[in-house]
Amino acid sequence: MFHEFEERFTPDRRILAQSGMSCHTSSLNTPEDKEQAQQIQHEDLLNLVLKVLRSWNDPLLHMVSEVQDIPQAPDTILWKTVEIEEQAKQLLEGMERIVGRIHPGDLENEVYSPWPGPPAAAPGDENSRLFAFYNLVHCLRRDAHKIDNYLKVLKCRLIHDGNC
Amino acid sequence: QSPPGQPTVTHCRSYEKETFNCWWKPGPDGGLPTNYTLVYWTEKNNKRIECPDYHTSGPYSCSFSKAHFSMWILYSVIVNASNALGWNASYEYKFDMLDIVQPFPPRNLSLSYEAVETSMPYLIVKWNTPEKADVKTGWMTLVYQVRLREEKQQIWEEHIVEQQTKLKIFSLTPGKTYAVQVRCNADKGKWSEWSEEEYFQIPEVT
Ligand code: NA
Ligand code: NA
Ligand code: NA
Repeated sequence: MFHEFEERFTPDRRILAQSGMSCHTSSLNTPEDKEQAQQIQHEDLLNLVLKVLRSWNDPLLHMVSEVQDIPQAPDTILWKTVEIEEQAKQLLEGMERIVGRIHPGDLENEVYSPWPGPPAAAPGDENSRLFAFYNLVHCLRRDAHKIDNYLKVLKCRLIHDGNC
Repeated sequence: QSPPGQPTVTHCRSYEKETFNCWWKPGPDGGLPTNYTLVYWTEKNNKRIECPDYHTSGPYSCSFSKAHFSMWILYSVIVNASNALGWNASYEYKFDMLDIVQPFPPRNLSLSYEAVETSMPYLIVKWNTPEKADVKTGWMTLVYQVRLREEKQQIWEEHIVEQQTKLKIFSLTPGKTYAVQVRCNADKGKWSEWSEEEYFQIPEVT
């Protein structure tokens, strides 16, 4: 679901490379390679997907409002951001139904990785505001890719018995 | 005779989302035997780690095994050149693992033709998954692009195939010979190189 976004919205790597980027979801201990993804229990992997998705609720809402204030942003980026926010919400609802079936009643207080909010920028400091937005795009792309990969692994494991 | 010129890290590539390689171009050697070392670090671990394997991926390259691979992390790589008179370091080459995934091309492309009375005749294009790609576990999901052209033309007709490893192409001109190629990408990474061309002459209608 996020793939179109990746194609249209890849940020300028040089800007990103020069500054210390960090993602608010990096504290979630998610599998980083094939062995780790295969060894983790499917319940735990589903829970991780859920946590990552929940961690994006607030920043995605922020991005939707922020992108409307970026004068250079073309309309395609504006409506893509809105669409991604909407699709992430739908994916989260779907995941909550699935996880809720596996662990009924266990959903409410699941800890996730909260977003600390946008960095305080001096008024009129458009560059740091733009950079903060790029940073979020970079992290969103990474987490979207991660979730996509985990869900494909889960699908092959649970539906196709490891033989996709 | 002088210290070595500056080496350049040219590219890094992961064929299967489990290991990766990096290649560099040496600068002028200053007329002396030159020794190259590569170090890397990641956004999670700032410690400089030396290349674990200079041999597997050929000259001026480093091969990183599974133990050195993480999918969703930013990597930095630097190559140092040194000789008896001094040393020189490349610029830092920084990349997201996501951006260097590029599979081998699909294998065993084959063409055959199906003409039965009950349907329109069609060309069947079949191929195998690329070397090393693990699609069974879902760790890699491949999308294929098939292209064909009339042998004497330069304009390609393109088709996208999701996950399957075959394609039926209808409405080809009897008597003409077509050239076909296929390539793939994994999870929106880079397209592989095109496979070798295969040719097929569509039978004349009898
Ligand atoms: Na992926
Ligand atoms: Na080498
Ligand atoms: Na690893």
